[in-house]
Amino acid sequence: MKRLLIPGTLVALILLAALAAPLLGLPDPVRQDIAHRLAGPMEGSPLGRDEFGRDVFSRLIWGARTSLGVAFASALIAGVIGTAFGLIGGWFRGLGELLTVRSMDVILCFPPVLLALLVVTLMGPGAGTLILVLSVLYLPGFARVTYAEVLSARSHDYVEAVRALGAPAPRILLRTVLPNVAGPVLVQLSLAVASAVVLESGLSFLGLGVVPPAPSWGLMIRGARATMEQAPMLLFWPCAVLTLTILAMNLLCDALRDAVDPRTGGTRSRLRARDRLLPGLLPAAKPAPDTVLAVRGLTVEIDTPRGPIRPVQDVSFDVRAGETLAIVGESGSGKSVTTTALMGLLPSVARIAAGEAWLGGTELLRLPEEGMRRLRGGAMSMVFQDPMSSLNPVHRTGDQVAEAILAHRPISRAEAWRQAEALFRRVGIADPERRMRAFPHEMSGGMKQRVMIAMALANRPKLLICDEPTTALDVTVQAQILDLLAELRRDTGTAIIFITHSLGVVAEIADRVAVMYAGQIVEQGSVAEVFQAPLHPYTRALLAAVPEGDTPPAGIPGIVPPPHAFPEGCRFAPRCAHARPKCSAGALPLEEAGPGRDVRCARWQELACRSEEVPA
Amino acid sequence: MSAALIEAKNLSKTFPGKGMFRKSRPVQAVRGIDVSVARAEAVGVVGESGSGKSTLGRLMLGLMPATAGSVTVDGRPLSDFTGSEWRRLRQRLQIVFQDPYGSLDPRRRIGSQIADGIRLHGRGEAGEQVTALLNRVGLEAAHAQRFPHEFSGGQRQRIGIARALSTAPDFLVADEPVSALDVSIQAQVIQLLADLRRDLGLAMLFISHDLPVVAQLCDRVIVMYLGRVMEEGPARPVFHRPVHPYTRALLSATPRLDAARRKERILLKGDPPSPADPPSGCVFRTRCQHAVEACAQAVPELAPFGGDGRRVACIRAAEIG
Ligand SMILES: Nc1ncnc2c1ncn2[C@@H]1O[C@H](COP(=O)(O)OP(=O)(O)O)[C@@H](O)[C@H]1O
Ligand code: SF4
Ligand code: SF4
Ligand SMILES: [Mg+2]
Repeated sequence: MKRLLIPGTLVALILLAALAAPLLGLPDPVRQDIAHRLAGPMEGSPLGRDEFGRDVFSRLIWGARTSLGVAFASALIAGVIGTAFGLIGGWFRGLGELLTVRSMDVILCFPPVLLALLVVTLMGPGAGTLILVLSVLYLPGFARVTYAEVLSARSHDYVEAVRALGAPAPRILLRTVLPNVAGPVLVQLSLAVASAVVLESGLSFLGLGVVPPAPSWGLMIRGARATMEQAPMLLFWPCAVLTLTILAMNLLCDALRDAVDPRTGGTRSRLRARDRLLPGLLPAAKPAPDTVLAVRGLTVEIDTPRGPIRPVQDVSFDVRAGETLAIVGESGSGKSVTTTALMGLLPSVARIAAGEAWLGGTELLRLPEEGMRRLRGGAMSMVFQDPMSSLNPVHRTGDQVAEAILAHRPISRAEAWRQAEALFRRVGIADPERRMRAFPHEMSGGMKQRVMIAMALANRPKLLICDEPTTALDVTVQAQILDLLAELRRDTGTAIIFITHSLGVVAEIADRVAVMYAGQIVEQGSVAEVFQAPLHPYTRALLAAVPEGDTPPAGIPGIVPPPHAFPEGCRFAPRCAHARPKCSAGALPLEEAGPGRDVRCARWQELACRSEEVPA
Repeated sequence: MSAALIEAKNLSKTFPGKGMFRKSRPVQAVRGIDVSVARAEAVGVVGESGSGKSTLGRLMLGLMPATAGSVTVDGRPLSDFTGSEWRRLRQRLQIVFQDPYGSLDPRRRIGSQIADGIRLHGRGEAGEQVTALLNRVGLEAAHAQRFPHEFSGGQRQRIGIARALSTAPDFLVADEPVSALDVSIQAQVIQLLADLRRDLGLAMLFISHDLPVVAQLCDRVIVMYLGRVMEEGPARPVFHRPVHPYTRALLSATPRLDAARRKERILLKGDPPSPADPPSGCVFRTRCQHAVEACAQAVPELAPFGGDGRRVACIRAAEIG
């Protein structure tokens, strides 16, 4: 709302001045006074007199009436009719589309001045004619913008939902579609008003608009041009108010567009974007000699308008050569932020608040960007969930893989292409020669993910980080990709960190698992142990929520708290069936519960004894 | 089983090819499908993306016209309902969508979106009913004043369900309502749908790509591939002992907690063919490990198999079943 204040006030002042012109006791804007022709500022005429000795200030204000009146009237008329056309054309398609939107294209074929000349010849010049000409000119813009927006709104489920509720078309258009296309229409309105002010000036300047001696900004500019050399300020004033008005209008419409969108209510959307980038982990032990990556106490802090948040806190884990560590957790638990931090790809608002991460002898968290760049795609590489957005749509897939090789190794292009072909074959793409010449959009989702894996493997990484690489794929294709990853790991000894929210996938692919909740690792250990005998109530609840066919799955009540509302002490306490006051007394450490087994729960020992007595 | 509430016969939908000059081939999204759903019955539809599940759901709701075949409600074809009768029918058939983010109007308070169904059909004072609906799906009265972006995915899905319930429907199409949710939240929503079915006698077409979820919630299941039914029958038996090679492959590809419960893994080759260019004969034959020459000759009939009310479309079902 604050953003509305300044442009709103400005536009209101301009409009008010124009509306109040008769009340301001200004000198008559058309009374000539040849004696004071081109006079400078003088008593009663703060801006001086024009070429006929008329008061410039008064003409500016009265001129605003004409100029703005014409501009607003024509923009509004065009806006209302054009939007209605666009709504009808976009909703009903077919004949409606032909009559409303396609017919507009005819107007676009006319040069504006020609159209104006035509109408002026027919109707004679004047403000009414101008409004008509301008409305017709702006009609197609509104119709097309609305039409395009309606087409995209139509495809949204929420529009389908009101149809399913049985709402009649006019109601759907007014209540559901219109508010959602209002943003672009408002922008179009600001553009139309601004350009109508300019066009009014232009047409009046050409003698096709407002008829002298009535004041308008266009006429003032026209008049001032003749005496530009003697009295340059005469040109300056109307141009200045013109510019100011247009600027204020544009600002206002931008602010209005944001204000009508309930989603831009401050910090919320920014937090959400960040929420999606979360992860966390935990253990603590001397890294074994074959450890590829050792993370200790990783804590990520992000500044937000509500104060700093820590979406990842005190995450520690090891990954050994040839091992797959799965990081599992609900959305918003901090999985992706963890890996983004390790890859040095945190957004600029985020920083590493504590911790270290050793990849062999290199500490990643404090490595300068240049060093990180050499590691990324080299010693460690990453495969993302959405292969489409990670592959460049305008380059052939083969070139992209070859490029990935060339970025790290000084070999010839031909050699890189040859190696890329071997990689394509390696990841199970049939007919690699042909596939390498294909663009990403010519490939299926599974095939693109294979290309991403080929690219990630291009420089024989020691560590491969996969962030939900199969979530967007069908299960039969997911099974193929999981199989491929398992085989690659076996053959190359690459360590894999596999992020997923699916416990089934964890069981399928991982040796060890770290369960994350609200930015922390709450339990970790070998998959067999953790799944057979979970220690943390959250792990137990997660396992019980998986539908396996016979016992009905049990949901976990409530939701993962957002980072600015993490509870004191155990973060799972509000949803935990075993919570006691001591759980929330203070920060809980990740305790070692056995070799390679850690848990973060104040009551894990009590609860473990109990579940031994009463097998669940 | 009682008489069908809603029944589709030989239902087909072909989307015309796109492009003005060089038209792409038409997409045969749904090809000659029969489904019937009785009152309070839940029928699951399983298949990979592009198999025509969503199209089938929309056809059954009359949200898009069928290319061939018919849908009847209480024995009357949808095309019979016109004017005010059509509006009354709309109340009875509702839908819940997959995407919890795209299915609510971002610009309107959720109370007003839920009230739509009540007001549109003149079902009385909205305020109290909105509160009751919110409570019914596990939300609070105060939530009515909030905008969709203030809710989590699972909460939005509950709101979508409340909106669908606002017209007091007796048939609900749930199009992958839990696919976008975390497991812990998935289970909550499945439980809610099961409760609604029990308490309100709601009939349901539950669309999913997840066979275990369907086995959990549904009485019967239909397995689709490229617009056709591959196997159909009581949900649990199909889940525990799938017969059609595609159902088997689908189940064996589904990640399970207990890897031992998965029978030998059948890894399908390649991707599903495009519905614009489906294989002749059995549509699954290009990925089927049992395919023989005869499979390309004719479309296998969906024929009864075994004694548990199951039907299977595979010429080799008897050999391999
Ligand atoms: N409005 C449409 N226009 C053209 N093709 C469509 C349309 N809707 C669906 N299709 C196509 O029909 C096929 C089946 O789609 P759909 O019913 O959405 O499958 P599912 O829900 O099983 O993923 C797909 O190939 C899809 O691209
Ligand atoms: S610490 Fe307490 S509240 Fe937290 S998981 Fe353990 S028992 Fe539950
Ligand atoms: S008909 Fe042939 S190709 Fe089709 S599923 Fe049966 S065996 Fe496989
Ligand atoms: Mg679908």
